[in-house]
Amino acid sequence: MKNLIFVFLTFFAISFLANPLYASSSENSVQTHKVVQDNQHEVKSISAMFSNFYKTTGIYAFLNPRDGATNALGEPLSKFAQSWGRIIMIFITFLLFYLAIAKGFEPLLLLPIAFGGLLANIPLADIIGHHGFIGTLFDAGIKNELFPLIIFMGVGAMTDFGPLIANPKTALLGAAAQFGIFGSLVGAVALSQYTPLFDFTLKQASAISIIGGADGPTSIFVASKLSPDLMGAIAVAAYSYMALVPIIQPPIMRLFTTKEERKIKMVQLRDVGKIEKLMFPLTVLILSILILPESTPLIGALTFGNFARVSGVVDRLSGTMQNALINIVTIFLGLGVGSKLAAEKFLVADTLGILALGLVAFSIGTMAGVLMAKVMNKFSKDPINPLIGSAGVSAVPMAARVSNKVGMESDPTNMLLMHAMGPNVAGVIGSAVAAGVLLSIFK
Amino acid sequence: MDNVNLVVEGLKFMVLGMTTVYLFLLLMVFVLNIISKIVKKYFPTKKLSPIYTKREAPKISNSTQDNDAVVAAIVASIQEFKKQN
Repeated sequence: MKNLIFVFLTFFAISFLANPLYASSSENSVQTHKVVQDNQHEVKSISAMFSNFYKTTGIYAFLNPRDGATNALGEPLSKFAQSWGRIIMIFITFLLFYLAIAKGFEPLLLLPIAFGGLLANIPLADIIGHHGFIGTLFDAGIKNELFPLIIFMGVGAMTDFGPLIANPKTALLGAAAQFGIFGSLVGAVALSQYTPLFDFTLKQASAISIIGGADGPTSIFVASKLSPDLMGAIAVAAYSYMALVPIIQPPIMRLFTTKEERKIKMVQLRDVGKIEKLMFPLTVLILSILILPESTPLIGALTFGNFARVSGVVDRLSGTMQNALINIVTIFLGLGVGSKLAAEKFLVADTLGILALGLVAFSIGTMAGVLMAKVMNKFSKDPINPLIGSAGVSAVPMAARVSNKVGMESDPTNMLLMHAMGPNVAGVIGSAVAAGVLLSIFK
Repeated sequence: MDNVNLVVEGLKFMVLGMTTVYLFLLLMVFVLNIISKIVKKYFPTKKLSPIYTKREAPKISNSTQDNDAVVAAIVASIQEFKKQN
């Protein structure tokens, strides 16, 4: 024991002795280095120093775009993208702030995306480069599709599939609404085939059309695999339209239903036991393993989150997935996607096409869901209110709330919310399956 | 590539995609119905255990009626106990 103490003390002594020695030697080297630098330092007048400093400011960079400049990722930049492009994009991010804060459009994602976009358009700082912090976030979780999957886990942990299990046939409405995806896919390729405006490849068209699934993480997942360059516009379109569900959907829903149909009351949903709730995620996962392994990253994450929720024994884990984890990843995902709002990526004609096609995809999906519900109402024993069909686009739970609201306009006592949750959550699965099909085609 | 009709390709995607989505969800409906039948038959609904075990404090009834009943039961059992001894 005494020996040990002695050894320690010696170590101490040595380290004390060594420390100043080491420090002074490093100081020396710094000093010699400084001397060398000082020798090289040119003497400048104060005005020259100010003008040199001015050249490193943002004002100079905005006003004097250079030829042959590259962005943080080493891609060439046009003069327009360096000056006006950036300024326009900064105003666009301000517009997104306005939509998020004043209008409440999906603020949880739109705000980080817009702020990421603002940071991405700062000249000289290279924040979106591979060594910038947003660039690092992008490489860490979006390029390799990690973040959307973690979000999906959280969505699974937050979602109660009870209404779907109680009335499984409403899942078909979730399937019908995926028609929006494939309808706009055809629209996108038709636009590039027959008009000179756009020139989307099949891959790009597929990535765009997934907006019709009204599912943000799925859109980002598919875009990052099929056409990373369009991701910024696709994510912004997907989240803006999800936020606009209460404005886009009701007119379409009213157009395709009669007043009598909107008043249809549905049968009370039965209770669902724990065993069925436990079996549900496993069933969905096994089906996707058998039919479409390509969609298992998405469906696997979703069902894992849900399984943890319904198991009832890992509340801590499911609580983390529902709250802390999904919040952290939302911040990272938003900022990372925002990096694709850099002027050179976003201010292209394709963006307008994507915004327009996204809207078409959404509308077609809503319409297909409502029409499918009308057909099912004709053949089903229990009445089905066609309004719940529109909830088949997956935007959970916004679309279900819209069904409920439009239903109550016709009959204030008609509560459709829980009935609409069935197609709503089926829509999440449906769009994940559709994403899997698109990915498997290009494999 | 130029003479490939993209629209036809897109339509093919649509047929394949919608078929798969419908097939998947139809199968899901089918399996869910079977499961619900099995559960009904072999695990008939007793008291449904709540899925979300929010740790609720055991309910302490405050209504005087309930308390009276409880008090009466306790008194009765004590009397029984005393009689036996």
